[in-house]
Amino acid sequence: MARKADQFKNAFREEAREVLVDLESALLELNENRGDAELVGRVFRALHTIKGSGAMFGFEDLAAFTHNLENAFDEVRNGRLKIGAELIDLTLAALDQIRAMLEESQAATPPVDQAVCAEILAGVRHLTGKPEKESAGARPAKPESDNGAGCEAGSGIDSGVDMDQIHEWSIHFAPGADFMLNGANPLLLLRELGLLGGLALRASMAAVPPLEELDPERCYLSWDMVLATSAERDGIRDVFIFVEDSCELTIEAVTSAASRSDRMTAAGEDPNSAQTNTASVNTADLTAKGLEDIRATSGGRRHYDAPDNASSLRVPAAKLDQFVNLVGELVTVQARLSEIVAQRDDVEIAAVSEEIERLTSSLRENSMNIRMMPIRATFEKFRRLVHDLARDLGKKVELTIAGAETELDKTVIDQLGDPLMHLIRNSMDHGIELPDLRVARGKRSTATIHLSARHSGASVLIEVSDDGGGIDAEAVQRRAVERGLVVAGTQLSERETFAMLFQPGFSTARQVTDVSGRGVGMDVVRQRVDSLRGSIDVTSQPGRGTRVTLRLPLTLAIIDGLLVSVGEACYVLPLANILECIELTLADIQRANGKHMANVREEIVPYIRLREHFNIPTPRPEIEQIMVVQTEQGRYGFVVDRVLGNCQTVIKNLGRFYRHVQLVSGATILGNGRVALILDPERLAEDAVRAISHCARGRPAGAALRAGR
Amino acid sequence: MGITLKQSKKSSVIRLEGAVDIGSAAELKTMLLRACGSGREVRVMLDEVTDLDVTAVQLIWAARRLAEGAGMAFTLAGTMPESVSSALGLAALQQFLVPLDAS
Repeated sequence: MARKADQFKNAFREEAREVLVDLESALLELNENRGDAELVGRVFRALHTIKGSGAMFGFEDLAAFTHNLENAFDEVRNGRLKIGAELIDLTLAALDQIRAMLEESQAATPPVDQAVCAEILAGVRHLTGKPEKESAGARPAKPESDNGAGCEAGSGIDSGVDMDQIHEWSIHFAPGADFMLNGANPLLLLRELGLLGGLALRASMAAVPPLEELDPERCYLSWDMVLATSAERDGIRDVFIFVEDSCELTIEAVTSAASRSDRMTAAGEDPNSAQTNTASVNTADLTAKGLEDIRATSGGRRHYDAPDNASSLRVPAAKLDQFVNLVGELVTVQARLSEIVAQRDDVEIAAVSEEIERLTSSLRENSMNIRMMPIRATFEKFRRLVHDLARDLGKKVELTIAGAETELDKTVIDQLGDPLMHLIRNSMDHGIELPDLRVARGKRSTATIHLSARHSGASVLIEVSDDGGGIDAEAVQRRAVERGLVVAGTQLSERETFAMLFQPGFSTARQVTDVSGRGVGMDVVRQRVDSLRGSIDVTSQPGRGTRVTLRLPLTLAIIDGLLVSVGEACYVLPLANILECIELTLADIQRANGKHMANVREEIVPYIRLREHFNIPTPRPEIEQIMVVQTEQGRYGFVVDRVLGNCQTVIKNLGRFYRHVQLVSGATILGNGRVALILDPERLAEDAVRAISHCARGRPAGAALRAGR
Repeated sequence: MGITLKQSKKSSVIRLEGAVDIGSAAELKTMLLRACGSGREVRVMLDEVTDLDVTAVQLIWAARRLAEGAGMAFTLAGTMPESVSSALGLAALQQFLVPLDAS
């Protein structure tokens, strides 16, 4: 039982962390749009959820603390308190304390600073003008005291709420088999729901089995309710947020009086029948009049909502990883099966094999989709960082976000937080100038940091750009010479110069500040991006700003690839990059006068012969194949001997020893047990361009699979 | 907290004391089954409870259905404290425990 309770607490922690992220971004948005009632509602709901659920799972201190903040935002909601920088800062500081309270019982977390908590509460009380005893003592465990009996005649509705915004919701709530065992208590939930507005409810005993068969620790009861509230569907759902997975819950907007009474009647069977398991009419009758009154005041406004069929399931990430690993194994075995079937002349087995291939393919696609998450949460949490840093550095900065809905693999998202944080800190500290200097340079005093994400082939491009002072390329080169990274007098391209920034310990900052300048951050960025098999590109214009682009693979698990061969070796190219495949004959080569250019429907496409690039000594066939690939550098052709076909590619790491190999993003095991390297078209194209420019400068083309920077 | 069963020639009396919740649900079920199996009038005393949760409410309700189905009298006696009845009232459960004295 105790373990169960711990599990439930952990589930609460996990969900509360998500609510806190949303709360934080809502607060920061509110700081910029102080009159936005919707944002105030969002903040209030988040606080309310944390408070209510916290109390339910035994986080009483957290709930009591949050209650004070909730009160303050209730005042804001009712127009009695104005949003100011002080309230926002206090609430943000309070968030940090709530986080600490959440994690307090976990090992290795610092204890909650009671003095800070008290200071925050005093600040909040000062703003709301409420005496200490009322504000601090109001524990959420006794909510009746501050909102009356929420269930009866709509007395729970705040007097300040505009009646026009009251809607009725029909709610069906049936706790599941393990609801009570998980430590949840339906009575507390219903009480919480009553606080949202006027609640009329009917309990049903219809599902209770005969006493002999009854499982004493299970809740068989269900409730049908009509709630008149100014809260939206999400606000109502928030009450059930921690138990949604273990109960049956439907929330529908009530569209007419008739449907409401239908709903209530249907819920409790026939109220006139003397059937033993029918609940008699209860508070519903008391409340019915209250509801009618509320409706009368609402000016006949009705809400027509689409039925809410959305449901979701919370699964631990580790289980998902295990699932994807298994799918990976299955894909490998399936490839082997296809290989064996191809060598035999058995139509029946071939049909089964094809079917398995088809199913494996959709299973793979599905499992990959499950792992995809929008990058929104990662982006949003930087609002706080920018807000706090701007205040500390005395700069004015706004963060703009684009493409937050872009989805990428959970593993990638998890690892992205640190590099983005370092890039933003760097931008804030070194890139963005102080407001006076900006004005003197003819810029807006408020600087902008722009975070964006978008898909490009099998990759995601994540950009952090600012409109600050840009990077001083000469200073970087000077520093590189000082550190012995390059020989004095070497001409470095812009790309090569900026690559220096990501060397360990490299910093041009004259002063080490709290924020950055130790030369550690950028090194972390590079290491993390490398471990994700991504790449970094920096562009900067002096006086105009800097843009850092991270190119990351969409997924680290399984991709669609095209299997090709050069001599004895097999390679996989990501299918997402491939545009088409054309033949390259001797005649074509002669027509191009030996230049590595192919004419694709009157368009010239430069190509790279992998045989030469990889120094493969076998003779080339008469007819070769050009894989035309789209890269950030434009279209390129990669010449191979043969195209062997589609290949579901389970990506395996090459291991630490080969971690610096740049042109290969991993390896995969083929159906015949051989290993094929997965080529990275972007880096291959970059490498080819570099090799050509080095040739032009009189240096030999480098060995192909050379180590990176 | 405590659940006690006293059986006499005329009746089986179950007295509930303190918080009767999921922690004592199994015990309450055993007691109720024993009382209902006795064939005598079943009387459940509620005046000493400080908390009743849904598991207790549904057990008492199921026991009442069982007893009445077998033609036995089932009585809920005593008045629950206000705090308990109002808590149940908020979930529309109090009517399942309306004291009905057979006498």
